[in-house]
Amino acid sequence: MLTLTLKSSLTVPLEAECLSPDVLAPLAHVAVRALPVMLGKRQHRLDDHFTVEGDGSDEIELRGDLSKVKWIGRLMTHGRVAITGNAGMHVGAYMKGGTIEVTGNVTDWLGGEMSGGTIHVRGNAGQQLGSAYRGSASGMSGGTIIVGGSAGIEIGMRMKRGLIAVGGPVRDFAGLQMKGGTIVLMSGAELRTGAWMQRGTIISLKPLKLMPTFATAALYNPSFIGLYAKHLARFGFALPTANGGYRRHLGDSSVPGKGEILVWQPTGIA
Amino acid sequence: MSSAVVKHATCTGCGCACDDIEVHTDGARVTRAVNACTLGETWFRDHPADSGEPAARIDGKPAPLADAIALAAEMLHAADLPLIYDHGYSTCEAQREAVALAETVGGVIDSYTSRCHGPSFVATQLVGKVSCTLGEVKNRADFLLYWGCNPAETHPRHTSRYALHPAGKFTPRGRRDRTMVLVDVEETATAKEADQFFRIREGTDFEALSAMVALVKGQAVDERRVAETGFTVEQLRLLLERMKAARFGVMFFGLGLAATRGGHGNVGAAYRLAMELNAFTKFVALPMRQHGNLVGSDMVLRWTTGYPFGVSLSRGYPRYNPGEFTMADLLARGDIDAALVLGSNAATDFANVPTIEIGPKLTPMQSGAVPRVQIATAATGVSAGGTVCRMDDLPMPLRPTLTSPHPIDEAVLKRILAEVRKKPAWYPMRSEAQIA
Repeated sequence: MLTLTLKSSLTVPLEAECLSPDVLAPLAHVAVRALPVMLGKRQHRLDDHFTVEGDGSDEIELRGDLSKVKWIGRLMTHGRVAITGNAGMHVGAYMKGGTIEVTGNVTDWLGGEMSGGTIHVRGNAGQQLGSAYRGSASGMSGGTIIVGGSAGIEIGMRMKRGLIAVGGPVRDFAGLQMKGGTIVLMSGAELRTGAWMQRGTIISLKPLKLMPTFATAALYNPSFIGLYAKHLARFGFALPTANGGYRRHLGDSSVPGKGEILVWQPTGIA
Repeated sequence: MSSAVVKHATCTGCGCACDDIEVHTDGARVTRAVNACTLGETWFRDHPADSGEPAARIDGKPAPLADAIALAAEMLHAADLPLIYDHGYSTCEAQREAVALAETVGGVIDSYTSRCHGPSFVATQLVGKVSCTLGEVKNRADFLLYWGCNPAETHPRHTSRYALHPAGKFTPRGRRDRTMVLVDVEETATAKEADQFFRIREGTDFEALSAMVALVKGQAVDERRVAETGFTVEQLRLLLERMKAARFGVMFFGLGLAATRGGHGNVGAAYRLAMELNAFTKFVALPMRQHGNLVGSDMVLRWTTGYPFGVSLSRGYPRYNPGEFTMADLLARGDIDAALVLGSNAATDFANVPTIEIGPKLTPMQSGAVPRVQIATAATGVSAGGTVCRMDDLPMPLRPTLTSPHPIDEAVLKRILAEVRKKPAWYPMRSEAQIA
């Protein structure tokens, strides 16, 4: 177990892509302390900003308000990163495997273009979680992102595969240009959900304001919902499978796409 | 002082960059700007040869220029993450020096674009773009669709010089050879010139434009949800028929699309519509860019770093991420620890950051937030020459009409750059052993 505690709060963001089990696990205590991090344009040592306890390990615990620390868990393939507090941008970007857990909030680009592994944030997330970076063709292509709180705009933008589940409300353009994968919105979304989506599934438990380019289809209970319900129950999310059905909307016809938006409709509500 | 007349001067009052202005001066200030619109006339008259500013100020007190330059270099060199921010009033030559400075001090560079048409660039990167020059519009366009803009007030000569009225090679009868449609949330002054005006419900441009894309592709749309935009499906169909029937159609969009909720989506939908219409005819979509040389700023950043705005050079190579490296977001999060603002009035935005301000009009002493270093320069286009870019990306040479006692932006930036280069590099130098 390796424990890193932020010494003092930061003004300029700290870019610390070395905070990944792939980099830290093989290193001894002294080597961990000497790892380079970038405070703005300045290269510093990791121990300039963190108190380091223990040797390199697959199990990493980060403590403190890391809301200005970027790129934690970048490209990680295995192991576990537990963040007690907030975290900054790009947590778990390009991640391929392993687990990241955050007790507080994170900001933008959580799990950007990740292809495997699990990220579980108990607080709120920012914009573009699981999205494609600007100019990139595809967003997340595998893995799971669970956010207990709310999220910003463009979640799952251009995502290709994988699962995003958000407990709180999300803002506009959820699943923009989505190509596949699943987004579960436990508290609904603001505007333009599923805009220009080509494939993939968006499940919402709250009514959505849909685009004119979506067509309304059947009310049914797809069998795969049960599998998601079982999977998400582990994270405390209850996806209903009885006493109602899911209204299926197809679109976006401007692409034209074969995406689907499933909106939960309890029995007795037309 | 002697009077003079300069013909074919370029105006930088708005993105039109009209280059047919005849400027009359009395040696101290512009007395007349023939052909200029009210915006252009004001722009020329507002910039006398001598602005009355001291060469430089440090902490609000007049100081020698050399001291101000030395302090500016020191501030940028000492900062962990400096921001170079361009208001878009400088020449391309000065902007090129600003990029060199950002690279040398390891900072972030951004321009006012991030606060106006930045979403249009994000849209271009999302879906692509079909474009043309204003010369092609003048000579060929027989259908004009203005969406979310009000050129009669923001770009007064846009319709008269480039788009609606001029006689072109394939539009010899000028206005009579063209159709103009306006879509906006309210009936503005531009509506008087339009053949047809549609009032769209605020915040529904994305839905309306996406529905039009679907209809062009022969797909079905939900009539009830289309009606929420203020259009009926029938109206959209008729409008699309007119667009398809055009020989050369142009859609001009303004901040009504780019700077409203979901701006990049709105503009992306406009670009997609123009693209899809090319299955039937020639159709393009162009942004109505704003003042001065913002377009030049984007152009210079694109050819030097590969990205139009919001570029970080803090790791020695360019990284682009709107929202992360854009001015408003950096300031909101308090990420930067020094700033250089190119163009006037650093003002309240930068109140909490040690700031260097370079421009023809310095933040007045009465304002609460006077930048640490202020350097007065000659006004671009009036007393400073160089190149600016028009809204269609065309470079236009400037013909300055007055002589300012202050240096031009480019010269000041070059001197700051030279000072910074005398100092040790900020990036970790490799030892001889590592290089071997």
